[in-house]
Amino acid sequence: MTEASEIRVRHWLLAAPALSLIGLFLLIPYINIGIMSFRTPSTTAPYGPGYTVANYVHILSDSLYLSLLAETLLFATVTTAVCLLMAFPVAFHLARTTSRWRGLLYAGVLSPLLTGVVIRCFGWIVLLANNGLVNQALGTVGLGPFQLMYNATGVTIALVHVFLPFMILPLMTAIQSIDPHWEEAARTLGASRTRVFQRIMLPLILPGLQSGVILVFVLAASAYVIPMLLGGGRVQTLPTVIFQQLMGGLLWPFGAALALTLSFAVLASIWAFVFLGRKRMRGLA
Amino acid sequence: MSRLSIQALTKCYAGAAAVANIDLDVAEGEFVSLLGPSGCGKTTTLRCVAGLETPTSGKVLFGDRDVTRVPPERRRIGMVFQNYALFPHMTIRENIGFGLEMRGVRGSEANKRISSVLDMVQLTGFEDRWPRQLSGGQQQRVALARALIVEPAVLLLDEPLANLDAKLRDEMRFFIRALQQRIGITTLYVTHDQAESMALSDRIVVMFAGRIHQTGTPQHIYDRPATKQVAKFIGQANLIAGKVVHRCNEVATVDTSVGRLLCATNCAVEPGTPATAMVRPEAMQLVKECSPNAFPGRIMERHFLGNIVDYRVATADGTVLAIQALGSIVHDAGEVVSVQIDPKKAWLLE
Repeated sequence: MTEASEIRVRHWLLAAPALSLIGLFLLIPYINIGIMSFRTPSTTAPYGPGYTVANYVHILSDSLYLSLLAETLLFATVTTAVCLLMAFPVAFHLARTTSRWRGLLYAGVLSPLLTGVVIRCFGWIVLLANNGLVNQALGTVGLGPFQLMYNATGVTIALVHVFLPFMILPLMTAIQSIDPHWEEAARTLGASRTRVFQRIMLPLILPGLQSGVILVFVLAASAYVIPMLLGGGRVQTLPTVIFQQLMGGLLWPFGAALALTLSFAVLASIWAFVFLGRKRMRGLA
Repeated sequence: MSRLSIQALTKCYAGAAAVANIDLDVAEGEFVSLLGPSGCGKTTTLRCVAGLETPTSGKVLFGDRDVTRVPPERRRIGMVFQNYALFPHMTIRENIGFGLEMRGVRGSEANKRISSVLDMVQLTGFEDRWPRQLSGGQQQRVALARALIVEPAVLLLDEPLANLDAKLRDEMRFFIRALQQRIGITTLYVTHDQAESMALSDRIVVMFAGRIHQTGTPQHIYDRPATKQVAKFIGQANLIAGKVVHRCNEVATVDTSVGRLLCATNCAVEPGTPATAMVRPEAMQLVKECSPNAFPGRIMERHFLGNIVDYRVATADGTVLAIQALGSIVHDAGEVVSVQIDPKKAWLLE
């Protein structure tokens, strides 16, 4: 064996544990779902005999499922946008602060991830219910009550809350990699604060922004527990419908087709996003 | 191109003054260095001139224009940073053209000026490279080109050579000086390296703890330092404590622990005041015979450095003096010699 191929083998060996994990628990189940989505339905078994494309035809021809898909992607988009707006100042402050409370702030950012999703949802229910803490507080100044739960507002609030760290952390890392001298150099060369942001900061933050947006978008599009609990059955997204198909209707082939359709739509959205940002990120790799 | 005046400039951080009441005038086309140890306020002063810091009090003027409250982007300055601060997401052409872009200069006019400054810093052909593909010296020259292309009123350099290796530093030193002379731009240069400031500057401003200790030509600062700190910071200095016994015009007689010395002075010291005689290592000669303004000593150490020989000589009272002699080795360790001091080159400090 030559030295180069020996090194290549060693690299593969190092990657083997991760690769086998991905193969075993991601690739094989996905293939399984893929096959399942082409099966025929059955009331007595998970699926019936033979193969069909009827599941996909059903999804793509029924405006109910297409609008559900659109709504799910819209939910994810709004959540991502709100996360981005809220994360930016926090990420900027965390990246640049020299405060001794930095560690504490950091822990604060991660705090949404410290409790389980169900507990967190019940927490939000206590806050957002019609007679919850938020409406009680607003009531004392003569406002409300507002419908903050069992609708898109409540679901979005809870989604933003838990996914905010996934936006803040990559943004923070990107901002940390920006040398303040670059901003100062741009100022001395005649750039106003706004121009510095446009021409120096934003292009350099883009890679971090991209990771944050992708993470939050994917997580929000596939969220199930939060829309379920805070939507209270009145908010439907594709993941909640998939769950109903699988567990309620026992329509495994159709559920599988819905799941793959969602995966594909999310992948396509990410691809479009990356493609659009590609030109602006040249020279940064 | 313009004159630069700093008037009563003070900058405080959390109540402590980083720069305390500084006055400085830089003439049109003059090259002035701010020299001092780290934390002496030299960089803060430069940043106040650039507009990157707002002075607590005092004024900065370019010519007759008061720029104290003018933001950096409207000051017409060129600044070079220690780490070059090239924009990593822009090519060399875009980096250099950034100042033009901000001023709305585009197209063939911009390209012409970019080619011209690239030629000036000898980097023609590097237009489409990325900053990370360039060596430190090349990056530094790009930073210079980027600062100069906008034809600034004042050029500001913050330790621009500190990150380069010694050989490149020497080359860049000559390069910067030649370039500055050619375009005749008013330049303020911050450094902690005394050799650098000496080689480059028309005048040096020596700062300690936020204050200016001395302003003068390199030669003047070397030969006639104003304070002990300046004497020690610039080159090597032997400081010998003593008491003034007599002064006649610009020559003072001082009784020191090593003996009676004649020193040059420019201050009206009264007999009886304690004072310090400063003698540079090369202003002392080792002679065999006792002569005027000389005293005996014993050679403790001898280091041959090629062009010079470094001696450590202990005098009768135990004071150890650093002495440098040109040429080859004449004396050996342990030898008893006479140390002769040129009275014109001994300098009295208060």
